[in-house]
Amino acid sequence: MPLIEIKNIQKFLLKGIDLTIHDKELLALVGPNGSGKTTLLNIISGLTDYSGEVLFDGINVNGIPTHKRGVGYLLQDLALFPHLDVASNIAYGLKVRGYPNDTIKKRVDELLDALHIARLKDKYPQGLSGGEKQRVAIARAIAPFQKILLLDEPTSSLDAQTAKYFRIELKNLLKRFEITAVIVMHDLLGAEEIADRIAILHRGKIEQVSNPEDILFHPSSDRVSEFIGMPNIIHCDSCRVLSTGLIEVTSGDLAIVLPYEGTNISKIAISPHDIYISDTEPPGPALNRFKGVVTEIIPLRSMVRVKVNVRGRDLLTELSGEMFDEMNLSVGMEVFIIIKLRRLRYAE
Amino acid sequence: MSFKRLTILLSYSVFIIYSGLILSLFYFYNGRLFLDVLVSERTLFSIRLSLFAATVATLMSVCIAIPSAYALSRFRFLGREFIDTILELPMIISPVALGAVLLIFFNTPLGTFIQERAVQFVFTVCGIFLAQFITTLGIAIRLIKAAMDEIPYRYEEAAKTLGASPLKAFFTVTLPLSKNGIVAASILTWAKALGEFGATITVAGSMAMKTETIPVAIFMRLANADIEGTVVLVLILISIGFGILYGVRLLTKKSTIFTG
Repeated sequence: MPLIEIKNIQKFLLKGIDLTIHDKELLALVGPNGSGKTTLLNIISGLTDYSGEVLFDGINVNGIPTHKRGVGYLLQDLALFPHLDVASNIAYGLKVRGYPNDTIKKRVDELLDALHIARLKDKYPQGLSGGEKQRVAIARAIAPFQKILLLDEPTSSLDAQTAKYFRIELKNLLKRFEITAVIVMHDLLGAEEIADRIAILHRGKIEQVSNPEDILFHPSSDRVSEFIGMPNIIHCDSCRVLSTGLIEVTSGDLAIVLPYEGTNISKIAISPHDIYISDTEPPGPALNRFKGVVTEIIPLRSMVRVKVNVRGRDLLTELSGEMFDEMNLSVGMEVFIIIKLRRLRYAE
Repeated sequence: MSFKRLTILLSYSVFIIYSGLILSLFYFYNGRLFLDVLVSERTLFSIRLSLFAATVATLMSVCIAIPSAYALSRFRFLGREFIDTILELPMIISPVALGAVLLIFFNTPLGTFIQERAVQFVFTVCGIFLAQFITTLGIAIRLIKAAMDEIPYRYEEAAKTLGASPLKAFFTVTLPLSKNGIVAASILTWAKALGEFGATITVAGSMAMKTETIPVAIFMRLANADIEGTVVLVLILISIGFGILYGVRLLTKKSTIFTG
């Protein structure tokens, strides 16, 4: 039952953090750079000192050093041992804990298979690609039968497509080995894909801990809303299946078409940067294309948010300062908006 | 002349200076005398003593240098900066002065007590070990620390999260990763000990067949105007030194496999 409880943790930026991670849960710790995510992982693993309490299964582990905590940790830079080959890297934790050789061999083979890296077992880390290193590091972290795993930005070195597949695989793997995991991510979309719950950390304070749907549709504060990109939440009145995998949802006078396999959607969230804005009517099909009027202009540091009233509903859009200047937008101006199909997120 | 050519020319001049000096030895080279001096009991004793004393002093230095260098490389503690600075001491003050400091120490009540009740250092082989140890310890720590600085602390942290105690992480991660650097540092320390003269002669004296190392023997032969004999001993010292430096170069090249 590796339940993790964090009570009133203080360290650097972290000011009185309280957090509970349930048994076999995958909790994503999401927040902007410098919000204290990695520090929190270091505290759980015992790599850094702190004030407050960390409990595993109700037992206070404050005085227990890292090597006795039984917490696997996938460091952001992976830190694979360059003097050991892949198999020896994976076996390291088992060897230092004194497991018998046949157990070590069995476990290493199991993980080489589970992570599809059996062909790499004799290679050294220097000869591996980023994705391969990632797999070896995960195998090494969970090899010594550790039931708690901390992962610091596990997909940061992968390209978007590889990262997406890797997240799915990682989730399946963690569930298969019944591991309780805390995953630090800076990408909310990625966290939504992998996590049972998401904790939003901002300037050393946990702003909200909820399931991905709640975070998106019910942000607890303006700060969370800002962090998740101020999505436009549209409550759907009715749904109509157009063809296999395509559905039309209506909300008032607004009808939006989106890819969806089911039959019913209650809410959709559209990020402002997923809504294109144009001062002239764009060519092409009119799918998810609407005419509206600019009602508010909110200049930010490098971008501008523009509120557009479309059929009685305000939609927030986002564009670069450069684009804004080029279009010369002003309040009251008539514009066209296009909603990107593939980035829509929904609740059933 | 372009800057590039000027720098290359200067590097050639370095080679010319050293090789010219070595070549000049052959002006006084006498083939028959070379063999006579080389196989003489006194020379063979000096070679054996030098090799043995340098090895003992290096082992003593490295045994203390490895943990000290690790502490200086990894931890921040009270007096760290001061210790780091004092490592330069044997490089700043002359070896003769270091030897004099040792001699003076052995004339204090504590030094006298050690000499009478524990080990006799002054004018003994143990004095050679001590003199060479004192002059090489700083450089050994400095070189091993440089090798350990190259190994990111992250590896040890990763080892700890996998269940390795700090000691086990040191022996299974840090030490193997800095192995080549430590070997290279040990060889350089050994070379420095082998060529040590000032502190050795001050503490251990220059007794033939007792405390006469190769550098001391060179000095003694030169003092007696025995140029040919001096040339032979210098050539022996150069041969050993050159072999060592070449070995270090090979090792340093290999060590880049892990750190590069």
